[in-house]
Amino acid sequence: RLERCVSIVTALTNGLSEREANDALNAHICKGSPQHEEICLGLFTLVLTEPAQAQKCYRDLALVSRDGMNIVLNKINHILMEKYLKLQDTCRTQLVWLLRELVKNGVLGADGVCMTFMKQIAGGDVTAKNIWLAENVLEILTEQREWVLKSSLLIAMAVYTYLRLIVDHHGTAQLQGLRQKEVEFCISLLRERFMDCFMIGRDLVRLLQNVARIPEFELLWKDIIHNPQVLSAQFTGVLQLLQSRTSRKFLACRLTPDMETKLLFMTSRVRFGQQKRYQDWFQRQYLSTPDSQSLRCDLIRYICGVVHPSNEVLSSDILPRWAIIGWLLTTCTSNVAASNAKLALFYDWLFFSPEKDSIMNIEPAILVMHHSMKPHPAITATLLDFMCRIIPNFYPPLEAHVRQGVFNSLTHIVEKRVLAHLAPLFDNPKLDKELRAMLREKFPEFCSSPSPPIEVKIEEPVSMEMENHMAEKDDSCYDNAEAAFSDDEEDLNNKGKKREFRFHPIKEAIVEEPVDITPFLDQLDESLKDKVLQLQKGSDTEAQCEVMQEIVDQVLEEDFDSEQLSGLASCLQELFKAHFRGEVLPEEITEESLEESVGKPLYLIFRNLCQMQEDNSGFSLLLDLLSELYQKQPKIGYHLLYYLRASKAAAGKMSLYECFAQATQLGDLHTCLMMDMKACQEDDVRLLCYLTPSIYTEFPDETLRSGELLNMIVAVIDSFQLQELVCHVMMGNLVMFRKDSVLNILIQSLDWETFEQYCTWQLFLAHSIPLETIIPILQHLKYKDHPEALSCLLLQLRREKPSEEMVKMVLSRPCHPEDQFTTSILRHWCIKHDDLLAEHIKSLLIKNNSLPRKRQSLRSSSSKLAQLTLEQILEHLDNLRLNLSNTKQNFFSQTPILQALQHVQASCDEAHKMKFSDLFSLAEDYEDSSSKPPKSRRKAPTVSPRSRKSTAQPPNPEEESGSSSASEEEDTKPKPPKRKRKGSSAVGSDSD
Amino acid sequence: MSTETLVKDVKPGLKNLNLILIVLETGRVTKTKDGHEVRTCKVADKSGSINISVWDDVGNLIQPGDIIRLTKGYASVFKGCLTLYTGRGGDLQKIGEFCMVYSEVPNFSEPNPEYAAQQSQSKGAQNESTPPPPPPDEPRPPRAPPGGRITRSQPGHPPLSNGKETRRSSKR
Repeated sequence: RLERCVSIVTALTNGLSEREANDALNAHICKGSPQHEEICLGLFTLVLTEPAQAQKCYRDLALVSRDGMNIVLNKINHILMEKYLKLQDTCRTQLVWLLRELVKNGVLGADGVCMTFMKQIAGGDVTAKNIWLAENVLEILTEQREWVLKSSLLIAMAVYTYLRLIVDHHGTAQLQGLRQKEVEFCISLLRERFMDCFMIGRDLVRLLQNVARIPEFELLWKDIIHNPQVLSAQFTGVLQLLQSRTSRKFLACRLTPDMETKLLFMTSRVRFGQQKRYQDWFQRQYLSTPDSQSLRCDLIRYICGVVHPSNEVLSSDILPRWAIIGWLLTTCTSNVAASNAKLALFYDWLFFSPEKDSIMNIEPAILVMHHSMKPHPAITATLLDFMCRIIPNFYPPLEAHVRQGVFNSLTHIVEKRVLAHLAPLFDNPKLDKELRAMLREKFPEFCSSPSPPIEVKIEEPVSMEMENHMAEKDDSCYDNAEAAFSDDEEDLNNKGKKREFRFHPIKEAIVEEPVDITPFLDQLDESLKDKVLQLQKGSDTEAQCEVMQEIVDQVLEEDFDSEQLSGLASCLQELFKAHFRGEVLPEEITEESLEESVGKPLYLIFRNLCQMQEDNSGFSLLLDLLSELYQKQPKIGYHLLYYLRASKAAAGKMSLYECFAQATQLGDLHTCLMMDMKACQEDDVRLLCYLTPSIYTEFPDETLRSGELLNMIVAVIDSFQLQELVCHVMMGNLVMFRKDSVLNILIQSLDWETFEQYCTWQLFLAHSIPLETIIPILQHLKYKDHPEALSCLLLQLRREKPSEEMVKMVLSRPCHPEDQFTTSILRHWCIKHDDLLAEHIKSLLIKNNSLPRKRQSLRSSSSKLAQLTLEQILEHLDNLRLNLSNTKQNFFSQTPILQALQHVQASCDEAHKMKFSDLFSLAEDYEDSSSKPPKSRRKAPTVSPRSRKSTAQPPNPEEESGSSSASEEEDTKPKPPKRKRKGSSAVGSDSD
Repeated sequence: MSTETLVKDVKPGLKNLNLILIVLETGRVTKTKDGHEVRTCKVADKSGSINISVWDDVGNLIQPGDIIRLTKGYASVFKGCLTLYTGRGGDLQKIGEFCMVYSEVPNFSEPNPEYAAQQSQSKGAQNESTPPPPPPDEPRPPRAPPGGRITRSQPGHPPLSNGKETRRSSKR
């Protein structure tokens, strides 16, 4: 279009004197505004393309333009924003020349063009072209300083741009020279027009910090800190600046339009998980040189401050902002850049105020810490560390403000539910001890769980650290903090520390919280009371065990008053509290460690029970004692399970648990088991996995049907634990699924989380249950809602030889254009088992050859939901045909298929014939050797399906017997009776 | 313009294909006997990925991340893999970069034994050892230089790119 404008202009002016040319142009312009535009753009293009004529063309342009060059300015901006990277060098030079002219002439709007130009100067890029641009624009701004001073936005933008660019310009003499000019330019504007620069906001401070070593800026800093009024009467000091939010236009101005487009594309279109290549491309283009490291800060600031996705995007699977930040942080190659990047990330935290600042600015930092905890704990650790250290170090005189800012941020994050609790982040066992201690010290408020202490589940309490702190009594917050975790048991280092604990459990428990058992003691008689007190005083495990044995003996004595059981249980529960919060399973599982772990005093009750006969009167008494304990301390349930599994003395006594369950108030094995496993799941996942094989083996009736139990397990295990369970299954130690219940459980699992479902399928696949058993699940699976199950099933089906039941189930899936399941598996079978598949399809086609939905088949259990219609089969086949077209796969040229198609075609109505004409046309040419006219009564298909039916269809006995008997009766046409072909078409074909 | 084929619909033997693709990987260069440089690039659109065979200088200009438009391409099976080629009078043009959503799977150029079998069946007199196999019924002199050219802004062009992408300089 621009070329056309040029040709118009050239045509008008060619060969004319200047004056005449001018008149000609004016005359043309007078014709209307389209002509005006043509001329303006034509002249503009000439300016850019013909340096020799530029001067003259610009003059003409200035003379003829009737809109103050508006059209031209718009065009310049447009070219700069969209095409700058593609412009030729001459053209760029001319554009800059034009800018200079525009500025010189003070054209209204030239400041906007100036800012667009500055945006083209890429950060972190010291290639010649970029430097050239930075130099030239700076030259214009310096030359036309008076003009610059007229626009405060331009001042601020220019200062922001060049302050940032100074950082990149060092090294060579040329760059040093440029840098000096930039420094002078910025300093003069900052000193003269500080309040205009103030408009930038807190990021001005960030940039000034990066250049603070330069002598001129050092002086400026002195004034900012000690003498702010020198800069402006309204300026009260650096705090004022730090508290004002940076406007988005400044954060955005340091990215070139191309970078901006690409980042925005990533945050609005690219799906999470697909970002790798885009990141690589971006990195290759913009972040691959050492000089480009400074750009990371600009990008991070841009993402935090400018990219604020809509809720719609936030809730979708689009690449989240934190993931991009994580990428920018992890790919940082220099330490300086890394620490600047972290500062950029946290910059809005430091002086955060919920009234002025946006949650969106602080959200990426917390989320990147949160989400990196699992995959890259080191990232989280370094960010948390930075967050702690920045408080005193950012600017010591303002430490209180920074602390408040970070606090406000954290509070706001919790309030806005970005994260519900911070404790899992701050006191995560994946972080090292010092860091956690520092976090605890700095943010005690956020380290504790908000739940009331009663509910507190303490499963990994007393570590070495705690022992050390014990004397100082400052452990309360720590204790609570630990309690907030239920999902991080996997940390082994931490476990290691806790081993210490088991050796002196009592002492610590007592020191920790001196328990008052006196009210309970009063319920006991003298001798029992003595023993309990002895137990309380006892210091080592062995002595306690002895006392405990004496207590048990006393309970078992003839004259023991069973009224005391409750009081005794309370005492024991209080005294052995530590047992229930300590680790049950030793860190390393060896025979000795297991034996040692079952040597706890409380376990003496279990041991005594194991040694007794069930009919012993003491047996039930001890069970009553346990039942009392169970009421007060439900954890004893899984402790019992553990004991029965781990102790050699209890080998083969798992049934004891059943007696226990019946003795409890729950009174029922299933409920009791589920409650105990649930408690165990909440407290200790390792233990849960340890117990899983034995409870599945010992209580198959309770466990194998329980989707609830399975869900408990898969909801908390990690991939390592999954692997362990899979191995157990394959080694024959564990059976988690049985043929009769597996289908039901898998159906239940469809509502679970993705990972839970994958675990379930993995565990299922570890068993060798024939896939046939679970095929009916297909009826429950929706392509969109159950991707986990469908893809697992698909991958399993492809390893199977198709049986008729499988084919039937697969074909029974409703046809939906987006659902590719059926076509996928059919295609696979076509390739591997074409003859088998052909036979099955033929038989199904013929069986279901009744088009109207006569579904009298709501009878047999397996086919209840599989409402297979002919139409469905044909539709699937048609899809398959389309998929196979061009592959030369000759599935559809197999005799059985052709026979079946012909057969079906003969009996179906016109609408369907039309609809599947392509499909039927495949069979058109086919002529069966044994029966020439397809309409003949003695059709060939009648022979083969029957003979096959009697052999190849065991899965469907009911239908089978029906059809085969029918076919025997009506020798030559076995199909009609099968599906009660009432349709006239059937009659027609028969009578033909 | 609205007639772009999707990668998933590319089948061997199809001709006159127009596709818009994003370049994922550029492969190594191999030389044919008569000195042409050929490279295989992995490209994709939202429906999946496929290999494209790029000839001579064009290959040097293509970079991962480029969005290219293939006009008058054809698809054929090379060494058992479905592959795209620029057909006669066809063209490979860079129309943008980066901003295109793609899906890397399914990869339609995964070796497909079926194709291989077919190919060996239909193998005629042609020497199949060098790419590209000619389109089934568009006779081309064997190993003719490809028709396509990719152009980036190069010196010697009209200096202003006028809002549109740079154009091919030489059409055949």
